[in-house]
Amino acid sequence: MNARTLELVAGPVRSILRSALIWTIAIAAIVFVTVAIWPAFENSAAVSQAFDQLPAQIVQAFGLAEIGTPAGFLRGNLYDFFIPLLMAGAAVGFANSLSSSEEDNGRLEVVLAQPVTRQAVFAGRILAALIWIVIITAITTAVQFGSDALFDLQIGADRLVATLSLCALLALFCGALTFAAAGLTGKPSVALGLGLVVAVGGAIVAALFPLSSALAEFAHVSPWDWAFAGDPLSNATDGWRYFALGVPAVALAILGTWAFGRRDVSAA
Amino acid sequence: MPEGVQTGGTATATGATAATAVAAPGDSSAEPMMRVRGLVKDYGSTHAVRGIDFDLRRGEILGFLGPNGAGKSTTIRCTLDLLHPTAGTVEVFGLNPRREGVAIRSRLAYVPGELRLPERLTGAQLVASIGRLRGGVEERRRDEIADRLKLDLSRRTRQLSTGNRRKLALLLAFLWPVELLVLDEPTSGLDPLMQHEFVKLLREARDAGATVFLSSHVLSEVQRTADRVVVLRSGRIVAQGTVEEMRSRSRQRIEVWFDGDVPAGVGDVPGLADVAVEDHRFTASLVGPIRPVLSYLAGQPVSGMQLEEPDLEDAFLDLYEEPR
Repeated sequence: MNARTLELVAGPVRSILRSALIWTIAIAAIVFVTVAIWPAFENSAAVSQAFDQLPAQIVQAFGLAEIGTPAGFLRGNLYDFFIPLLMAGAAVGFANSLSSSEEDNGRLEVVLAQPVTRQAVFAGRILAALIWIVIITAITTAVQFGSDALFDLQIGADRLVATLSLCALLALFCGALTFAAAGLTGKPSVALGLGLVVAVGGAIVAALFPLSSALAEFAHVSPWDWAFAGDPLSNATDGWRYFALGVPAVALAILGTWAFGRRDVSAA
Repeated sequence: MPEGVQTGGTATATGATAATAVAAPGDSSAEPMMRVRGLVKDYGSTHAVRGIDFDLRRGEILGFLGPNGAGKSTTIRCTLDLLHPTAGTVEVFGLNPRREGVAIRSRLAYVPGELRLPERLTGAQLVASIGRLRGGVEERRRDEIADRLKLDLSRRTRQLSTGNRRKLALLLAFLWPVELLVLDEPTSGLDPLMQHEFVKLLREARDAGATVFLSSHVLSEVQRTADRVVVLRSGRIVAQGTVEEMRSRSRQRIEVWFDGDVPAGVGDVPGLADVAVEDHRFTASLVGPIRPVLSYLAGQPVSGMQLEEPDLEDAFLDLYEEPR
């Protein structure tokens, strides 16, 4: 990789450094604090009984089943909603900040006036967002393992790695969708809106649609369903789930890059 | 209209004298650095550029003038492949910006009109970052330009004033020895001292062989630096020619004193308008060649005469206004 190509990735990596560190610290802190209360859950029959008395639909919708087990505890408190949503939010934010937002405020023009292709500039920004999501995932995984050891939460490493990988892929899917919208339109409102609608709306669809017999079939349109319907903390993950998120993410990233090279660049 | 000045949306400059005068030393090529033909750019129903033709000749400084919204920045952004023309063609160095944008941009430097820089970087970091995209930075040259522009490169760009951000953009433009400088309102926000330094840098770049495409609202700056000008209004070229030709479009104020009363018939002299007679002198606007006026005055007891230097601004104010 030559200096020019490296800069097209390193520059955007640096430009979101501060927000990326904030996201990383926030997610890692939530994981640590949540795992820290595991000993209270593990030994509290009252807490388990309280959740058992909730309606079955509520328990299912919010992933509260078997909250007294390590897998149930992590699913209900972290990985059924919070961590995937935070990581998806981070990815959407990075994607919007590095593409349509930069274009809208005119900061891309200085870079695009240099001897680089538009596609290379856009692809460099996608790679920068990817790098930060990988870093966040790696640090979250490390904090999860460390916290588990510290607070004696026993769960298989393969289950955790699979779950966090699916969180990362869901985030990348939402980020790639944001990049695609940015590449096609250059409008931050469209890019950010679409990314967040899919991230948040997908969570709602995956959580609530199964509660209705009429809507249950449509839960499968949600990328959250593709990622977590198999309960990766409790069961081995089917390989297709990785591809179901990863392949569209790559396709959306390519679409955004292609589209960005073919349209007008917005002026400040 | 003076000879050589062309007006109209599809006129193409043909001033061979001017082209010869500004050709780069040793360059015999007549190939323009930039060739724009029938350029049209629409934004939906808005017609930003309505079919313009002009050439930027090798080694010249071309002033690109017009009121706000005339289509100057749109035209410039088409040459850089930031915008795709609705119709017409743009060639830079004989290359197509859309297909060969990287090759074009490696040979030019650009200062955008609406200047937005990454806010978290210091000036030095921004220069280094752009330098990595352009194959390196000559630090001695960087420091020399920063010193001349009185620019502190250790400060973050968000801490810089508008003028200092503009200086940073100018530093980035003059840092590399490019063949073409594309400058869109380059001195906007600069104080007069720095505008003067900019003109010096511009002339040095031209002397080193660079061609300059200069969009500006500062007519005095164009008057001092440009070889030719192209004037846009509402997306059309309304005039183009050398600065001298453009300047000669403007009305000159003439004032003549006589030993006695002002002779009769002064109001009938061809080329004089708005004649006002007062005691032993008259004032008028010179709107045509001066020869008939001098012929008239030759036989009169003239004690003094003053002819004001025509100003580019006067010429352009008429061009800038929409016809009623």
